[in-house]
Amino acid sequence: MSDKLRNQRLIALFAAGWLALNFPLLTLWDRGVSVAGLPLLPTAVFCGWAALIGLAAWITEAPGGDD
Amino acid sequence: MLSAPLVLAASFAYLLLLFGVAHFADARARAGRSMISNAWVYTLSMGVYCTAWTYFGSVGRAASSGLWFLPIYLGPTLAMLLAWPVLRKMIRIARQYRITSIADFIASRYGKSRGLAALVTVIALVGILPYVALQLKAIASGYALLTTGPGAAHAGGPWWRDSTLYFALALAGFTIAFGTRHLDTSERHEGMVAAIALESVVKLLAFMAVGVFVCWGLFDSPGEIFAQAAARADLQPLLGLGGTGGDARFAGGQWFALTLLAMLSVIFLPRQFQVMVVENVDERHVKRASWAFPLYLLLINLFVLPIALGGLLHFASVGQGGADPETFVLSLPLANGAHGLALVAFIGGLSAATGMIIVEAIAVSTMVSNDLVMPLLLRLRGRHDARDLSGTPLAVRRVVIVALLLLGYLYFRIAGEAYALVSIGLISFAAVAQFAPALLGGMFWKGGTRAGALAGLGAGFALWVYTLMLPSIAKSGWLPTPFLHDGPFGLALLRPEQLLGLTGLDNLTHALLWSLLVNTGLYVAVSLARAPSAREAAQALLFVDVFARTGRGAAAAPVFWRGRANVAVLQQLAVRFLGVEAAQRLFADVARQRGAGRIEAVAADAQLVQLVETQLAGAIGSASAHAVVAAVVDEEPLAPADILRMLDEASQVRAANRQLESLDKLKDDFMSSVTHELRTPLTSIRAFAELMRDDPAMDVAQRQQFIGLIVAEAERLSRLVNQVLDMAKIESGHGDWRNQAIDLRELIAHALSTTREAFRERGASVTVEQPEAVPLLHADRDRLLQVLLNLLSNALKFVPAGHGRVIVRLTTDARAATIEVSDNGPGIAPEQQPQVFEKFRQGGEANNRPQGTGLGLPISRQIVEHLGGRIWLQSRPGQGACFGFDLPWHPEEKHA
Repeated sequence: MSDKLRNQRLIALFAAGWLALNFPLLTLWDRGVSVAGLPLLPTAVFCGWAALIGLAAWITEAPGGDD
Repeated sequence: MLSAPLVLAASFAYLLLLFGVAHFADARARAGRSMISNAWVYTLSMGVYCTAWTYFGSVGRAASSGLWFLPIYLGPTLAMLLAWPVLRKMIRIARQYRITSIADFIASRYGKSRGLAALVTVIALVGILPYVALQLKAIASGYALLTTGPGAAHAGGPWWRDSTLYFALALAGFTIAFGTRHLDTSERHEGMVAAIALESVVKLLAFMAVGVFVCWGLFDSPGEIFAQAAARADLQPLLGLGGTGGDARFAGGQWFALTLLAMLSVIFLPRQFQVMVVENVDERHVKRASWAFPLYLLLINLFVLPIALGGLLHFASVGQGGADPETFVLSLPLANGAHGLALVAFIGGLSAATGMIIVEAIAVSTMVSNDLVMPLLLRLRGRHDARDLSGTPLAVRRVVIVALLLLGYLYFRIAGEAYALVSIGLISFAAVAQFAPALLGGMFWKGGTRAGALAGLGAGFALWVYTLMLPSIAKSGWLPTPFLHDGPFGLALLRPEQLLGLTGLDNLTHALLWSLLVNTGLYVAVSLARAPSAREAAQALLFVDVFARTGRGAAAAPVFWRGRANVAVLQQLAVRFLGVEAAQRLFADVARQRGAGRIEAVAADAQLVQLVETQLAGAIGSASAHAVVAAVVDEEPLAPADILRMLDEASQVRAANRQLESLDKLKDDFMSSVTHELRTPLTSIRAFAELMRDDPAMDVAQRQQFIGLIVAEAERLSRLVNQVLDMAKIESGHGDWRNQAIDLRELIAHALSTTREAFRERGASVTVEQPEAVPLLHADRDRLLQVLLNLLSNALKFVPAGHGRVIVRLTTDARAATIEVSDNGPGIAPEQQPQVFEKFRQGGEANNRPQGTGLGLPISRQIVEHLGGRIWLQSRPGQGACFGFDLPWHPEEKHA
């Protein structure tokens, strides 16, 4: 993967993460429901966070690029 | 309770372990086997972001407002997504120009301004000092809790019996030992980084151990904690987004502000800049860190909410509802008899605090020494004082480290439990966030100027002091509070926390909004008010286009300097600041690179001045380095037009260099092909001559035959040598041209008769197509014959043996005569066609080249072009080749 593509993907991911983990999308999860015994909101935030990290790993660790 | 000696012994043992690791890593680095040249170590060293404020404070924050501890870690996660485009550029710039601190980075970008460097240093210092105090407070209160039990606040007592003071001094000792061991112009501290990486592991594991203990030791599972919390009306809101202070609505603006603030801090806090940019060994490590560091943050936050809720539930159930949530990490294991775990948790907190203090002290001491103290010292000593100062920067840094820790301790003793300490983490963040416009703007926008950066930073800092720092001091009781509620002098519009009547925001969001707004606005507006000076423009180019000017394929960065300098004086300067040994090494390297035997023989040109300045910048900061170098050299001022010209020259030099390189390669190829060609006839000549020498009885006929061969080979040799000489002569324009009237029909007949034998041998036929009569052409007959013979022998070389066909076609028109020689050979591939007229390049496959010098066609082209004509090739693979040239009747009438 070229660095140009990598950079564009990272910027897009940044924008997506910024939207997903902020007002107002965050309020979608604030419902006082439980999932598998865990409250929905904290679970959703941590899952979204983990997904962001996973995608970042996939983008940055792909071979190619470097200058 | 734990006994005080046990806790002290464990703490000092931990510090000793750090010493050991740092020492080992330093030794490995000296042996050339770096321990920290590893993306994982780099990632872990970034964990210095998580201080005691994270370790203890996150739980406290979660206990009062639920998920609101998270934006401080979501911000860095988002920032790290942009690390590859942004952080990598910072690293490249810092490496290229020997930048060793954030103050240096900003000052260097805006024309190496001393004023800007000093301002950034002051902002960092004011913002960071309370943060250091916070770490000491965390250690002190953790220690008090472990040894005297909850509720026993910091006992006070005389300062000489305060273990916190000795911790602070021990940390100063550690920092001095591994942060200021020697003056390395790249400012890398391998031992320190290795120790910090270890600290990151320790605090993560310790915190997670407590989390596991709470979730599965005190309770059955995290699910049980959440279920119990959801059943309690006072704890249920902590599972939602309801803002702080019982406000049910989600304060989206504050969440946004906190995320942004943390995003900026993770890059601009001096300690972060130190580990991420200055200590970076390989920029490729950024890739791993951009997801692994967020993962670290996620892991360290995973148990924050369970610990907070678990603590609240547990202490409420045992009737200690008032327990301080900020110490749950320690008090929960302690209250349940898990003394060993409590000690581990304390060591974890200690590692969080010490890591922050050590790195911050190194970063701040570099800044204070380079950007505040050294400029003053240099000014006091006078510019032409030649005394050795090579030890001074290190000594200054050591003093600054001790002073910083003692000041932090003093602040902690005075401020104690005050409000100022509790919120100081975020206040520090807001201070360093002021660096963002000047720094990020400077990296991506060439228009930013020194005046703009000064105005933006100055105003942003002033607003930070007014809207955040002063109110926090007032709330601590050190300032009268009426000015908070009524505004200074009763001016309600100037109330620090509702500036211009802006309400509805918490004080942090309010302060961040105003300070960053005014900061960015002034930076842009003042920058645009006038064009950048030459020096600013030069630095802007070097920063913004750093990737274009460095890295693979790029030549050395352009040097924007003009003037006169003296090698001896530069050398003296280097000795003065770098020490005799380092200076000698530097100049010896230069002499070797330039192929000069002695240092004195090196020209004191712009490159050398730049090199010395860059090296000094590593030791004393770019602004000071520029000032001391400027004092001893005769610099001519540059205008913006000069910058453009120098840039242009640099790219021209680059292009010329590339051309030279390829010519050099061609020359080598040519030499080897010529030598090869010379060797073949020489070998036969020698072989025949030796045969005749060794056999005196050889009969005459045989001898005659050998001598005939020798003569033929010698002729081949002289032909080759003549061709090479000819080429050189025509090329240099010194050829002899004897022009006369030529009948082209006769010329073709002559050429064919010369080559008839060769054609017959190869079984090829020649056809001539020409008009009955052609006008006479004025040209050099021998040269033209040479062209024709070249084309004919060329065609002959490629036609198939036995049934080759060559057609020579002569045509004329009003302007010129045209001769074409076509053959039925294999033809020439399109991609090779442009090269056939180039010197030393032969057509055909590399391993199947006919013999020749590769000079025939280039010489022909030179001759034809000299006569005002043009030579060309038409060919399609498999359909033969057709070489043609035209010769104008009147060469002086040039056609465009």
